[in-house]
Amino acid sequence: MIATRLAFSTAHPTEFIDLTERLRDEVRRSGLTTGRIHLQSLHTTLGLAVNENEPLLLRDFMSMLERLAPGDATYEHDDFSRRIDIALDEPINGHAHCRQLLLTGFATLLVEDGDLVLGRWQSVFAVELDGPRERQVAVQLEGEFAHAPTLALPRNAGEGTALVELELARQLMADPDPVAVPMRRLLEAGGKRLRPRLVQLTAQLGPEYQPLRTAELAAAVEILHNATLVHDDYVDESTHRRGRPTVAAAEGAERAIAVGDYYFAKATRLIAEQGNNNVTQTIAAALEAICEAQIDDVGLRGAYPGDRESYVRVVRGKTAALFAAACASGAQLSGASAEIVEALYRYGDLLGTAFQMADDMVDFSPMSGKPVGLDIKQRVLSLPLIYAAEDRSVGPEVRRLLAGALGDHEVAQVASLVASSEALSRVGDEARALVEQAVEELEKVELNGLRPTLISLARSAVDRAS
Amino acid sequence: MSPTPVLERELDRLEALWDEGLADCYHSYLETMDSAGDPELRPRLALAAALVEVGIRLQGLGGAAAPAPALLMGDLCLARSSRILTDSATRAVQVAFARAVEEMSSAAASGREASPVRDLLARALAAR
Repeated sequence: MIATRLAFSTAHPTEFIDLTERLRDEVRRSGLTTGRIHLQSLHTTLGLAVNENEPLLLRDFMSMLERLAPGDATYEHDDFSRRIDIALDEPINGHAHCRQLLLTGFATLLVEDGDLVLGRWQSVFAVELDGPRERQVAVQLEGEFAHAPTLALPRNAGEGTALVELELARQLMADPDPVAVPMRRLLEAGGKRLRPRLVQLTAQLGPEYQPLRTAELAAAVEILHNATLVHDDYVDESTHRRGRPTVAAAEGAERAIAVGDYYFAKATRLIAEQGNNNVTQTIAAALEAICEAQIDDVGLRGAYPGDRESYVRVVRGKTAALFAAACASGAQLSGASAEIVEALYRYGDLLGTAFQMADDMVDFSPMSGKPVGLDIKQRVLSLPLIYAAEDRSVGPEVRRLLAGALGDHEVAQVASLVASSEALSRVGDEARALVEQAVEELEKVELNGLRPTLISLARSAVDRAS
Repeated sequence: MSPTPVLERELDRLEALWDEGLADCYHSYLETMDSAGDPELRPRLALAAALVEVGIRLQGLGGAAAPAPALLMGDLCLARSSRILTDSATRAVQVAFARAVEEMSSAAASGREASPVRDLLARALAAR
């Protein structure tokens, strides 16, 4: 069964919105071949109807509704002096509620051969009775599904990737535009999708592996990660991410805060709705660790570039905690043994730390496609910089430059000093050593043939140029 | 009034907030809660609600954006609340809390006025 929401805006007090094509799209996207699609209005002044989409007939319907429940008649519902707990913006809409009673709030349509079963003249309408408003209709599709996702996917996307992308798109379709549009822009801009990949791999290790349920969790983890990025970008005053303007830069700090909060809450809800308390606790603990580390990170900027011990503490919270949680939660969802869950958690923790070290090195690579030294400019914690500042030859000059204002010239000088020192090779060695420790964790448990994939994923996460 | 030892453990890094409105919020939610529930869980659930209310206030959700340090404290309040709920609340309450935050943040993003936070969270606490 697949559940989603159709969101739309209405423009008139009374309006027939033809949902037929959108419902057909939902059926196509879901891969439902034979079954039913259930619709439910989520509003008391929004009805549903199946009828003919002929403009004059629609005017007849409106006239009929007006005759049966006139807009200018008296309704007790509109007598605010007699009602309790009314909102400040309570509308005068007794007529709309009465009209809704003449329609229905629910509908079930049949699906055969992957399409809605509708007669030649039948269309499916949402009927606005108190517009203009933002509206939602809940949709559930059930029956026999073919594996037929129709989203535009990377050419080499595997089956699991396709499911996650489909789930991400499906979740965002249900959300109001003011939050969905910026999040969609961020998700569509790319990202490595490492965390959902880890969920999907480790979920194959338990006896209760279910691809669709796993894709839901994987997508929720990716949404959570992106929600944290939206707030991070505001905190770091970043103007671009993945080559596009950040939410804060494009739409303002207020919107960025709201978008981050919305998707933080939505992701935790999606995970809670899965009903596996071990998974919920694992993700919640990771989220708390991320927030604590963020506070530490900003606190450390006064002593920039800091020291290795502080760096590792922050990175284990900010980055590795969600890697570890992704690895553990996938296994937990499928009912893997505690021994496997713990080994994967440690693997994720080590991999996440190594991944961040590799990410720091990318900041000094002219091949990365990003401006060199962006981390320095934003005074983001960076291990190569810490090591360069400790270096006997370049350290004093690095520290002197970091103590002053960092214009483009100073940033370029620092980046050049870091590149000329042994800092980058030292960080690379350290990241690779952590990956080997992560691999050792995998040796301790039976992984049903997944070990080579997890090893290869860990090594490629560190040996990269971007 | 100081927090009880049980609550004190949940206030790590957030201690300063207790005297800056968190305690009042907490007591307010505690009073609204159904006395039929588990008495050992009630304080934790009331704290979870209070953390959400104080968290979004710190962030400036629905108003002027808070500076970075306040936003991060607000984020931690929300995350702490979420973790407390996973330890202590039913799935229905966890989902209702998340929906309350979704409603408030969606309203903030749309420039609409949301229902009062205390009403939303009191309803979430009563979710079955």
